[in-house]
Amino acid sequence: MPRNKLDKLNAAPSASARPDAKSDAKPASKPELERRGLSASPGIVIGPAFVRDAERLNIPRKLVEASQVEAEVARFKQALADTARELRAIKSDIARRMGEEHARIFDAHLLILEDEMLVEGTSSAVREERLNAAAAFEKVINRVIASIAGIEDEYLKERTMDVQDVKKRVIGTLLGKGTRAVNRPTEPSVVVAHDLSPSDTAQLDRRTVLGYATDLGGRTSHTAIIARSQGLPAVVGLENLVSKVETGDIIIVDGNAGSVIINPTPATIEQYENEVARFHELEDQLLTLTGYPAVTLDGREFMLCANLDSADEIDSVIDHGGQGVGLFRTEYFFISQEYLPSEEDQYKVYRQVAERMEGKPVVIRTLDVGGDKIASYLHRSPELNPFMGWRGIRFCLTRKDIFKTQLRAIYRASAHGNVKLMFPMISQIEEVLRAKEICAEVRDDLRRERYKFDENVQIGIMVETPSAVALSDQFALDAEFFSIGTNDLIQYTMAVDRGNSKIAYLYQHLQPSILRLLRLTVDAARKRKIHVGVCGEMAGDPLSVPILIGLGIDEFSVSPNMIPEVKRIIRSVTFDECRALLRRVARYRTTQEIETEMDTFLRAHAPAHNGRTVS
Amino acid sequence: MVEFTKQVGNKIGLHLRAAGEFVKIAAQFSSEIRVYHGERFANGKSILGLASLAAARGANVRIEIEGPDEAAARKALEALFDAKFYED
Repeated sequence: MPRNKLDKLNAAPSASARPDAKSDAKPASKPELERRGLSASPGIVIGPAFVRDAERLNIPRKLVEASQVEAEVARFKQALADTARELRAIKSDIARRMGEEHARIFDAHLLILEDEMLVEGTSSAVREERLNAAAAFEKVINRVIASIAGIEDEYLKERTMDVQDVKKRVIGTLLGKGTRAVNRPTEPSVVVAHDLSPSDTAQLDRRTVLGYATDLGGRTSHTAIIARSQGLPAVVGLENLVSKVETGDIIIVDGNAGSVIINPTPATIEQYENEVARFHELEDQLLTLTGYPAVTLDGREFMLCANLDSADEIDSVIDHGGQGVGLFRTEYFFISQEYLPSEEDQYKVYRQVAERMEGKPVVIRTLDVGGDKIASYLHRSPELNPFMGWRGIRFCLTRKDIFKTQLRAIYRASAHGNVKLMFPMISQIEEVLRAKEICAEVRDDLRRERYKFDENVQIGIMVETPSAVALSDQFALDAEFFSIGTNDLIQYTMAVDRGNSKIAYLYQHLQPSILRLLRLTVDAARKRKIHVGVCGEMAGDPLSVPILIGLGIDEFSVSPNMIPEVKRIIRSVTFDECRALLRRVARYRTTQEIETEMDTFLRAHAPAHNGRTVS
Repeated sequence: MVEFTKQVGNKIGLHLRAAGEFVKIAAQFSSEIRVYHGERFANGKSILGLASLAAARGANVRIEIEGPDEAAARKALEALFDAKFYED
């Protein structure tokens, strides 16, 4: 994560603290413990933990009395029926809330419950070996799982996850622990889990969830997306949190700092409660800006757009006053389910976003799998150096089938709004030319098939490799807009692994080298008169905003909840003074000098609320 | 008995969901349905059996149907393959 001095002051969506948290705190027998992870959704919350799936299923093995064998078989069949009833309930719930498409996988789960290999296999294991139903069922289903897992084809192998899911449900029912649906909080709690799948979160009652903390996951994991779309704080990547927390422990989730505190002392609770109160105040003040344009004091106007991971977040974009979607990442769609999304699946979502934005621009970035976002069914083998590997446009140009399906869906959605197309990870002119050829093929096909679409959908590129910057004047001949992806640009320019804390000093926005690259890119765009925006985290970093203003970019694209804060800064400064500032910092040779200057500038021109200045 | 060979033409092969579509149709008929792929074979009414066949995209599977409604079953299953398991 980049260093961001203002994290603590960022606007955050409402974080509801439990007022009686203090009285619930356990006696001092449990020591306060802080764990750091990744911030997945901002905000702070204090509440009791609800630990999900804490216990592994310990399946007892028993010899069934001969006289009880048939009763045991009947118990097994009853468990199948109970599980089926619950699956049907989940299925119709998901169909209602997320659409039939998402519910279809449960049909397969239901068919597994009826499968004669399982039903007959388990029944005869009970009868012949006099095993208890849970042990017999486990033995039989494990054999099936092993046989599917032994398949060489990755697509087919992936299916074991579904069988595992069914296994857990049936065994849970047999052991009387209830299936996983019962395993959810009854009072408002922070959900702590190893990882949460779409079917897990679909079963949680939103009214009883205060926030999320998980062992696994990154910013684009399912938990992160759900949390952001619900406006709840979340910290992911906490490694072994589940083993440190018990249900009922008081836990603080600080989604701004990316940390959690277990069993906080009364002093810590008070400190965080004050912070929550400050957030609310700051948020209220910032939201009063929603109806105003992002314009400097001397009249220079900027487009202030939102980055989006899922259509579920669109309300948040609108509520925060986003003027468009500057970056719709489409990976989530591909990695949140266990099979390739069809053209219709994709079209529905792209169309929904385009329609909701009512003519405001929606930039859809084509699939950027690879790097840290790997859909296991898409990648056949792990790579030694995935960030340098088969990802982004490189993947799509090889897997033309997947690429074309997505392009067709995007073009078809263009009939319903102001849709633009953008390619990720571009480093060669050839890649843009090839991708545009494929776009032309798709347009030909759609025309022949008499689909309605916008013939002039703008095609832009992400500028996120040093090569794209070096050739930006040339890329500007083939691209109709640029969007600078600062996260990857910093990573590739500084040759720094974002996840390695030992070299975190290299992963910072305000580096002289990065500023030069930004200037080169913006100048090339100016010269060729194309639109240029910044969609990386730098665009939402308050210390960097005045620099980006001074560079004269056209558009900021940030997380929806960051829009008001960026707007506040834009509205507090003049374009002229930002340009002068940029000229000053361009002379500095160290990151430290630039940061100090920016800090001073921000204190003087756009101090944060509540009398607190940036520190 | 009728028998025919079909290529698995959907994008990711005879995975669990595609196998589920097969079973849903197969279960409507009283005929016995067996599916062969290479050395393996499976009961056409068992989703797990079909998923264990390892029939990847492009694989040819042979289907044998025996029973009173075998002709109708054949027609329905061929249509399923032709529709690529309704994936697009």
